[in-house]
Amino acid sequence: MNTESTWRYTFVTTLYTLLAIFIVGQLVRIQANPEQVEHFLVQAKLHEGDLRLIQPARGLLYDRWGRLLAGNITVYEVGAELAQVRNPHSIALTLNVVLGLDYAEVLEAVSQEVSPEAVYVVLDDYVTQEKIELLERYETELENTTSRNKGEEPPSLQGLVFKPHLQRSYPEKRLASNVLGFVNREGRGYYGVEAKFNDLIAGKTMEVLVPRDPNLALELPEIPDGASIILTIDRAIQAEVENILDQAVEENGADSGTIVVADPQTGEILAMTTTPRLDLNEYWQYAEVFKGSTPFNRAISQAYEPGSVYKVLTMAAALDAGAVTPETVFLDVGVIEVGGIYIYNWNSAAWGPQDMQGCLQHSLNVCLAWVATQLGTKNFYDYMRAFGIGRLTGVDLAGEVIGRLKIPGDTDWYEADLGTNSFGQGVAVTPLQMVMAVSAIANEGKLVAPRIVRSFIDKGNQYDTEIRIVGMPIKPETARTLSELLARSLEEEASSALVEGYRVVGKTGTAEIPTPYGYSLSATNASFVGWGPMDDPRFLVYIWLEKPTSSPWGSVVAAPIFHDIVERLVVLMDIPPDDVRRDILASQ
Amino acid sequence: MERVRNLTQAYSQAPWRKQLKLIVLFLLCVVFAALIAGIYLDVTARAATMGREILIMRAEIEAQELENADLSSQLAVLTSATEMRPRALEMGFMPVERDEIIYVVVPGYVPPQKPDLAPPPAPTKVIAAALPADYKQSLIDWFREQIIPTLSRAVEVSP
Repeated sequence: MNTESTWRYTFVTTLYTLLAIFIVGQLVRIQANPEQVEHFLVQAKLHEGDLRLIQPARGLLYDRWGRLLAGNITVYEVGAELAQVRNPHSIALTLNVVLGLDYAEVLEAVSQEVSPEAVYVVLDDYVTQEKIELLERYETELENTTSRNKGEEPPSLQGLVFKPHLQRSYPEKRLASNVLGFVNREGRGYYGVEAKFNDLIAGKTMEVLVPRDPNLALELPEIPDGASIILTIDRAIQAEVENILDQAVEENGADSGTIVVADPQTGEILAMTTTPRLDLNEYWQYAEVFKGSTPFNRAISQAYEPGSVYKVLTMAAALDAGAVTPETVFLDVGVIEVGGIYIYNWNSAAWGPQDMQGCLQHSLNVCLAWVATQLGTKNFYDYMRAFGIGRLTGVDLAGEVIGRLKIPGDTDWYEADLGTNSFGQGVAVTPLQMVMAVSAIANEGKLVAPRIVRSFIDKGNQYDTEIRIVGMPIKPETARTLSELLARSLEEEASSALVEGYRVVGKTGTAEIPTPYGYSLSATNASFVGWGPMDDPRFLVYIWLEKPTSSPWGSVVAAPIFHDIVERLVVLMDIPPDDVRRDILASQ
Repeated sequence: MERVRNLTQAYSQAPWRKQLKLIVLFLLCVVFAALIAGIYLDVTARAATMGREILIMRAEIEAQELENADLSSQLAVLTSATEMRPRALEMGFMPVERDEIIYVVVPGYVPPQKPDLAPPPAPTKVIAAALPADYKQSLIDWFREQIIPTLSRAVEVSP
């Protein structure tokens, strides 16, 4: 080996040795310095992946037959990657034209210098698919454009980023809006089912690190979507009932209207509607639609004095306790004194001797007040509590109010309340409380809790809800006897509630409205509660019109609505006329 | 015999033989290391490719889920009560009235049942893993598994 070669080998060896020593030295220096270690750990974490807030898809809401009532649509967040922006003016101008954004604001936002704090800016959100398609088309067209002046940046939308995400959508718009509630842009549910089950439907939002290392791809957590709900609402019945209600409110010049249709045997609510209603896709118009203290859903959120429909409960209690029988005769002299106040009939007339059917048929306040006194104070209020009056029904909707049932022992209860409560005055109930209470009479005495949820679908499985019987306030015989009395009352009155071919049961109600200065003589609440077919009840309908101007009487304004609804119900629910049904049953 | 011994001695004492032995040994090590490195590189590259594909597929699933949600909502809008009613009326359909219906007994007819949008919850079953761990672990995992228990055993037995 000559000297020149030796020198070369020595030089290369030394160089590599020094390099190795330098690397090892650096390793030792970094490892031994806690600050350096911290710095590199942070750097490593930063480049490990991207932190992403993953919001699971909100669960869907269906009607009882699986038709979509609340779904999701794709909308976009429009932002800009500042490092990619080539022509801020083009972006500002395009977004001003297409999305209506302020030119100056967008220009300022996208002209920022890129820094660790400013990498990406959000310019708009909840942009529809159509507008994004328009922006994409402009972007493509501008790509082929060149600058007019030399040295000037050509027009370009480079740097614009469209990030898709889901937004709540209500395909039926106003339909069942009082039941569904709505979701705001932050994903929070308000009112109805959306609010009641918000946590369940919304799912669990998680912040996850999406690794850049492909070997860690499987470590990404699976985030389940929110639970979906099948409601008991029947879309077809709901639509018909809403049409009938809107027409009735308009024709009768009422301030508002509320209708609940339920299956008395299962407690399932088939339709629930009230006025006003909101297009849920435009929930921001809430304040315009629901002015002042207007409740979102009167059926559960507004208690009112129901008037004579309440007599059904008084009579049920008295018959069940044996205080009266259908044959008991009461001599109506037109006035009765209870607890120091005088109670008169609706027409201030004396109706002479009346059996219990007559008392219900002519809706005699004097007779029912007498019946309540025969029943006794304790019994009366025990029965009312057993019917669920003064308690929440527990329906799966947000915003239910409790109503008011004063009972002996309360500071504002007086003996006179027994008399007035007997015909539905001085007691405040929600329409749904009345539905629940009366359903016990239609359902052989069994009090079934109303429910709006038929099934939950969570993590790929469907969980059905069960019928919940919460009590038995009256005996089955009492329920049958009272149903017969009420059915005969309607038939003998030739009520406009009657439906040809079907035996239905019902009671009208007309209630004066309490004001701070006593009861208003000029405005009433007109109600009707009815169910059918009598021998196998499939539906129970509750109607309330607030301050109708065409007529103050429930028998005139509310009873025909019951007729119209039942005409549609028997078609939509495939309920044959009574004689046909009996023939079919006999042939089987 | 003497001749053979001399030849053997000469062969064994030849300087190039020792060098050859060393070179062959070195080359064998290099080939072995290259083989291991090649296998490792292949496995790692395939795992990385699969991981990348999984990430891409996840992105595709997300995009398709968004599209599905969109299409379902569009379909629901098209078949909504407010859309269907005027369309049906335009086509000459009328809502059937109560007295226009004729009821007929149809043997075997089953009325509409509640929708089953998902199966009911099944009792929990313990399902054996479809693939043994050996088929899923990487080469490094296998080495770690082989070495670490040995080391831990060594630690355990030492006083």
